[in-house]
Amino acid sequence: MEYLIYIATLVCIYGILGLSLNLVVGETGLLSIAQAGFYGIGAYATALLLVHTGVNFFVAMALGMVLAGVIALFIGTVLSRFSGDYYALVSLGFNVIVFSVLLNWRSLTQGPLGIPQISQPMIFGFSFSTPILFLCLALILLLLVYLIASFITSSSFGRVLHAIREDEEAIAVFGYRTTYYKLAIFVISAMLAALAGALYASYFTYIEPFSFQVVNSIFILAVIILGGLSSHRGAVLGALVLVIVPEALRFTGLPSDIAAQMQQVFYGLILILLMLYRPQGLLGKFRM
Amino acid sequence: MGGGATTVAIKNSVSGYNLAMEIVVQLLLNALVAGAIYALVALGFNLIYSTARFFDFGYGALAAVGGYATFLFYKLLGLDIFLSLILGVLIAGTIGFLIERVVYRPLRARKSSKTVLLVASIGVLAVVQAIIAILFSSQFQTLALSNQQVIGLLGGSITQTQVITLLAGLIIMIALAITFKYTLFGKAVRAVSDDEEVAQIVGINSEKTIGYVFFIASAIGGLAGIAAGFDTGLQPMMGFSLLLKGVVASIVGGVGNMYGAVLGAVLLALIETIGVWQFSGEWKDAVAFAVLIIFLLFRPQGILSR
Amino acid sequence: MELLETKNLQKKFGGVHAVDHLNLSFESGKITALVGPNGSGKTTLINTITGLLSIDGGEIIVGGVELKFVQPSQVAALGITRTFQSVRLFGQISVLDNILLVLTKRDIGSALFERHSNQHLKAAEDVLKKVGLWEKRDEPAEILSYGQRKLLEIARAVSIPAKIYFFDEPFAGLFVEMVKTVSAILQELRNAGAAVVLVEHDMELVRNLADKCYVLDSGKLIAEGKPEEVLQKPEVVEAYLGK
Repeated sequence: MEYLIYIATLVCIYGILGLSLNLVVGETGLLSIAQAGFYGIGAYATALLLVHTGVNFFVAMALGMVLAGVIALFIGTVLSRFSGDYYALVSLGFNVIVFSVLLNWRSLTQGPLGIPQISQPMIFGFSFSTPILFLCLALILLLLVYLIASFITSSSFGRVLHAIREDEEAIAVFGYRTTYYKLAIFVISAMLAALAGALYASYFTYIEPFSFQVVNSIFILAVIILGGLSSHRGAVLGALVLVIVPEALRFTGLPSDIAAQMQQVFYGLILILLMLYRPQGLLGKFRM
Repeated sequence: MGGGATTVAIKNSVSGYNLAMEIVVQLLLNALVAGAIYALVALGFNLIYSTARFFDFGYGALAAVGGYATFLFYKLLGLDIFLSLILGVLIAGTIGFLIERVVYRPLRARKSSKTVLLVASIGVLAVVQAIIAILFSSQFQTLALSNQQVIGLLGGSITQTQVITLLAGLIIMIALAITFKYTLFGKAVRAVSDDEEVAQIVGINSEKTIGYVFFIASAIGGLAGIAAGFDTGLQPMMGFSLLLKGVVASIVGGVGNMYGAVLGAVLLALIETIGVWQFSGEWKDAVAFAVLIIFLLFRPQGILSR
Repeated sequence: MELLETKNLQKKFGGVHAVDHLNLSFESGKITALVGPNGSGKTTLINTITGLLSIDGGEIIVGGVELKFVQPSQVAALGITRTFQSVRLFGQISVLDNILLVLTKRDIGSALFERHSNQHLKAAEDVLKKVGLWEKRDEPAEILSYGQRKLLEIARAVSIPAKIYFFDEPFAGLFVEMVKTVSAILQELRNAGAAVVLVEHDMELVRNLADKCYVLDSGKLIAEGKPEEVLQKPEVVEAYLGK
């Protein structure tokens, strides 16, 4: 039972990550491989604030989101000069740079040692200290992010994103400053990823830089490609499948690091098979 | 007589100068070797990009395949080093060829977008790297020969394998240049990279040509992985890192230009080596990317244009 | 009244002048046709005016103000709108959405909080009904036939009032009834006082619709004037048939 709660919580966290990345990749057509970087910024900002200053979790989370947003503003501005392959490459580069910072700026992040003893969320004296209470928090936040994402895509802003996805120049001619739209959604996406990071930090109470590498960004990409681009339900469904199925591998009795590699084989294969046989994924509403 | 103190001072400053020179020479030698490795990756990557026209993230994995295949034959099965080398290169080439056949060719046949190919190649990278980690564990391995001859050169030192790496890089560069200029196959490759449709119209079997290109490029990548295995060691994730260096080298040197890729590789290696000397080695990847981003912003066509 | 002028406009690709020192003027309340063989620079001209291409020399003057470094997104504010010769619609979104995009707020903050407004729906309905696409409003634009896509492209351009309209080969691929509809639309715009610029190959249509005609060849202006006069000129006939 505890195990199921653990799985459900993971699904919530990856669901939020998927929803956030989908806003950039699925709705706007920008192939970003940087999401784990913002996930990490949120996790580390929250962790450091909780451990060193003892502020309330939700305040730390908010501050982490703001930090991620500011950094995304900078990164997004650089990225806006590129498209297609170069966009993916440069975004990946930023992930590498963020990871390097998390790994090497030891005075701040304690480098590879990570940050232990992160506290649990509390609000008005009520503590989310049991797994099931934390799951409730995670579910509430997942729902919140889902609603935010749906709000964005059902507005005129969302429609413009869809147009940018297909032909940015053509929509620009009709009076849209597409660079700012792309920047705005990139920042929003980064902030939501940071929210997931805050949850992650508090749930596992220990974080290290190795959870925020390029391979993790690729995993989040696999989540939304499997679930289907431009679909919020798809993002959550993709998270569900990609969390549950590899976890099932644990029960096959394989040693844990081989199981971890098998998970990577699994989601790599998923990407290949999807591209070959069903590029729109499970519930996708946009074909690349 | 004050001459004694002066002589000592002069001797000290001369030996200090010699030490500085030695350091510089050593740095240059290290950079040259690393540059040769990056150049090989850049050349292979460019071959694929100019013919098949997509960004093949999976290419990096083939370097690891080459390195680990050689490791298997040489260290685990005890075969002769040269035989292991050749087998490693051939295996890398073959696996690259097969991947193209099974994954990329069907996608290209249905005119899938470049993004679809890119995502598929990301999948390939993930799968191949993970399989290598399962077979050989994620532990750091090394291909280094047990008693290597270290050659002194102009005050710096260089190992046998490093010399071979440099020679191999040079030979391959020359071989590629000759192939592309003078052989029929080379002309076919150039035709396909100019315009695949037109090449097909004049009777070139572009599918076959691209298949061979993948074999050759993957073999070169495998060789780069082997060289890196001797130089810095083997890790399942090494391919990705090498690929990125190769891409940065291509872009810095000038996309689509073979000499540019080599120039970019050497420059990148130089910047990295100096950077590592001044700061710690862990920032290497970040430095490479910072260089890339700066170039893309201010001189996207690279140093040498097409 | 001159709404848009070009003076000595130049655009080069490599060594070739795609637009070679063009002096053109587009007046309000007139349909001006741009005529010339393929490759004569008509679309390149439009692309430079609408900010898709930079210019290499000369000036573009809109409403008496010289434009420097126009960005595509600034073009609409100048009262310029256009269709594309290669139809550039947003295929994976609905016909209705393709029109709504042009009607809704441009500013990010407002766009984020804007939902469907009745006013916009009404305007979209009007224009879609004019081109006969209202019934297909919820279909993704990519399922439309070529002719219907061209109509949607035109509908998009005329959804909001502008001062200067560029129609790049709008009649290509249209059936007879559609040609009548589009001709009527162009004339309506002209009568309301806009400057309508029409790139067209069909000489009959040019004769019927255009008040003034510019003939281009290899980026240069080789004739101008009323369609009947201009289209008879030997140099114009030569340009089309080759020397």
